[in-house]
Amino acid sequence: MSTLSRKVDLNMAIKIINAMIIYANDNELLPGSYAVVDEGGHVVAFERRDEAPAATADIAIDKAWTAATMKASGRILEIISKGQGWRLNVKHKGRLTIIPGAVPIIANARVIGGVGHSGGSAEDDLKIAQAGWTAIFREEGFNAEVEERLSLARKIAKEAIEEVNNRKLKPVTVAVVDEWGHPTLIYRVDGAPFGTLELARDKAWTAAAFKTLSENVSSLYSNMINATNWNERLTPIPGGVPFMYNNKFAGAIGIAGNMPEEDKNLAMDVIKKVGLELLG
Amino acid sequence: MEKYDVVIVGGGIAGLSVARELSKYKVSTLVIEKNEGFGKEMTASNMTLVCQGADSLTFRHGTLHAELNIKSIPLWPKYAEELGIPFKKIGGLGLIRDRIDFFRFMKMYSRAFKSSLKGEESYYIPKGSFEPLQFLDKKTLKDLEPYSNPKIQGALYDPNLAVTDPVKLAVALAENAKANGVEFLLKNEVKKIMREDEYFTIMTNETSVKGSFVVNASGINADRLAEMVKARDFSYIPVKGVLTDFDEDTSEVFKHQAFYLPSLGEPHIKAVVPLIYGGLRVGIHLSFTLRSDKEIPLGAVDHNLGVIKSIAPGYPFEKHIKKTFFGIMPLTNAETGWHDFVVDIPPHVPRWINIVLGPAGVSSSPMLGKKVVELLSTSGLEMEPNPRFSSSAKGGVKG
Ligand SMILES: Cc1cc2nc3c(=O)[nH]c(=O)nc-3n(C[C@H](O)[C@H](O)[C@H](O)COP(=O)(O)OP(=O)(O)OC[C@H]3O[C@@H](n4cnc5c(N)ncnc54)[C@H](O)[C@@H]3O)c2cc1C
Repeated sequence: MSTLSRKVDLNMAIKIINAMIIYANDNELLPGSYAVVDEGGHVVAFERRDEAPAATADIAIDKAWTAATMKASGRILEIISKGQGWRLNVKHKGRLTIIPGAVPIIANARVIGGVGHSGGSAEDDLKIAQAGWTAIFREEGFNAEVEERLSLARKIAKEAIEEVNNRKLKPVTVAVVDEWGHPTLIYRVDGAPFGTLELARDKAWTAAAFKTLSENVSSLYSNMINATNWNERLTPIPGGVPFMYNNKFAGAIGIAGNMPEEDKNLAMDVIKKVGLELLG
Repeated sequence: MEKYDVVIVGGGIAGLSVARELSKYKVSTLVIEKNEGFGKEMTASNMTLVCQGADSLTFRHGTLHAELNIKSIPLWPKYAEELGIPFKKIGGLGLIRDRIDFFRFMKMYSRAFKSSLKGEESYYIPKGSFEPLQFLDKKTLKDLEPYSNPKIQGALYDPNLAVTDPVKLAVALAENAKANGVEFLLKNEVKKIMREDEYFTIMTNETSVKGSFVVNASGINADRLAEMVKARDFSYIPVKGVLTDFDEDTSEVFKHQAFYLPSLGEPHIKAVVPLIYGGLRVGIHLSFTLRSDKEIPLGAVDHNLGVIKSIAPGYPFEKHIKKTFFGIMPLTNAETGWHDFVVDIPPHVPRWINIVLGPAGVSSSPMLGKKVVELLSTSGLEMEPNPRFSSSAKGGVKG
């Protein structure tokens, strides 16, 4: 039996992303967003390069989701839907993304996940996504050098994962967003339920959006928020922590997977450990 | 340090087809091969079919895969004769089990060779340089192949299909290239390549050479080699294809290549090929794998035995198994199944040519050399004809 993995774990997802970044760099392609999802279409790892437009984040994630849940490449879907795939966009809140750059991960004759890339032409996106999933058939590792912001996010995530292990906490999702609330990195540790995914991302968004700890938002703005339920990302529970970098507000980290207070303590400690300052 | 106009990495069918074609010009060429002999990797582990093209299912319209293969068909007989290698037309039978098969073959039939006859097509070949396809009814098929399964309703017959000995071809190409001035470095594995302004420095485990142009013909290693100079602009998956050989007794049982169309949810190929020196080769059990994977997958032998039994039931094939082995080939666009060859110069690395063949690479050999020579000359390599070129001289390389 071959030693190929039967499911997409965090290590595999990170390898795929590194392979995509190296391919993009070697071929002098534009920096973009890179997403890897599991069989259910849920993100296992996501990264956005510093120069990549913010909107590419969700396009990459939704492409990966489309490939995994349709069990087909965006290129095939485009042809079988005769270019009318966009009509299906009324479904799934517009997630279906029938554009090249959405590639299923096939191993042991099964679709076990998906890869999405956004940031270049459809043709480049496809080539980068292909470079990603084919990397799981490479014995060697891929280590891409990345820019300042993403490399900081990687440090945060690495530290968080280490701390989860040290403290014997339950597996978590770590999300890092920029000062505008757009994700730069999402890692879901093996075993963390997919529900932690949006929770972590939304805690980070909440902390970035209000420049305060996520749980402070309900007391600061309670009346307004309870009355209108105005934003579906709003998550005023502990675990979202904004941080400063080079004396400037630079984004927030969101962690989900344990009791909210544990997630919050973890996030605060991680920020200090990597040498960042808490905001405020 | 020796300096060459062209350094070819890889002594399989790809590298040697290019070397031989280049020896027709006054160009200094070196072939580097890691093994002690030629064609010992993919080139030694395949179905041995050439002149493929009529089964247009194999090739997607508009691909280089189709172009190089179809254009090679008329070149093969002379090519084999010049090089002194065995070449035998055996003909291919696309087996028809039911109406669905028939309609699928009808579609192929209407496409096969039709487009290659149009002058404006990239894979134009003149009328008369191949024989047209033909449908055979049940009785004709039975007369041709008395052992064939009575459930088979007929066949689409391709008279052009032939077999050869790909390893012999590789060695013959090397011998001829050597006689015409090409140099060889065997038992040298390329470990590192550096790209300078005017040339590449290629380092092996033994030595270093310089080359103005590099042809990456390293087979399943092509991705790693290209990555050495940031010249990988393709991706592929290693696909393991398991083949089973049956002994010479079985030569009597089946005379033609024959195959069933693939069906949905059935990833393997079902085909039999009568080998040039006798016996049958059957396969192909396919799986995506790591290239370091050396095991024969569970169920592969049973699959191959099942294939030949479904084509020619009633013969005790299980008593005639000779060996089961596999080849690993690169499959591009693996997520769609729309494979194509890579034969090109990556946009950011001039004077570097990547070759990735995969399925039907041997079959494309006569055109492949020409294609690469064309790429080299359009990218600045001066190519004057070699007045001393002899198309069948032998140079005595070890192989
Ligand atoms: C199961 C199967 C069935 C097939 N059936 C057919 C068929 O019927 N007809 C057909 O036409 N094709 C068929 N093919 C495809 C065919 O075998 C290939 O297209 C062809 O052999 C590829 O040749 P190549 O020269 O690219 O690769 P190879 O023959 O693998 O040559 C590459 C060479 O490069 C050398 N090399 C690699 N790395 C280095 C390095 N770093 N330094 C030095 N040397 C290096 C290797 O040792 C090797 O000799 C089949 C393939 C398989 C697997």
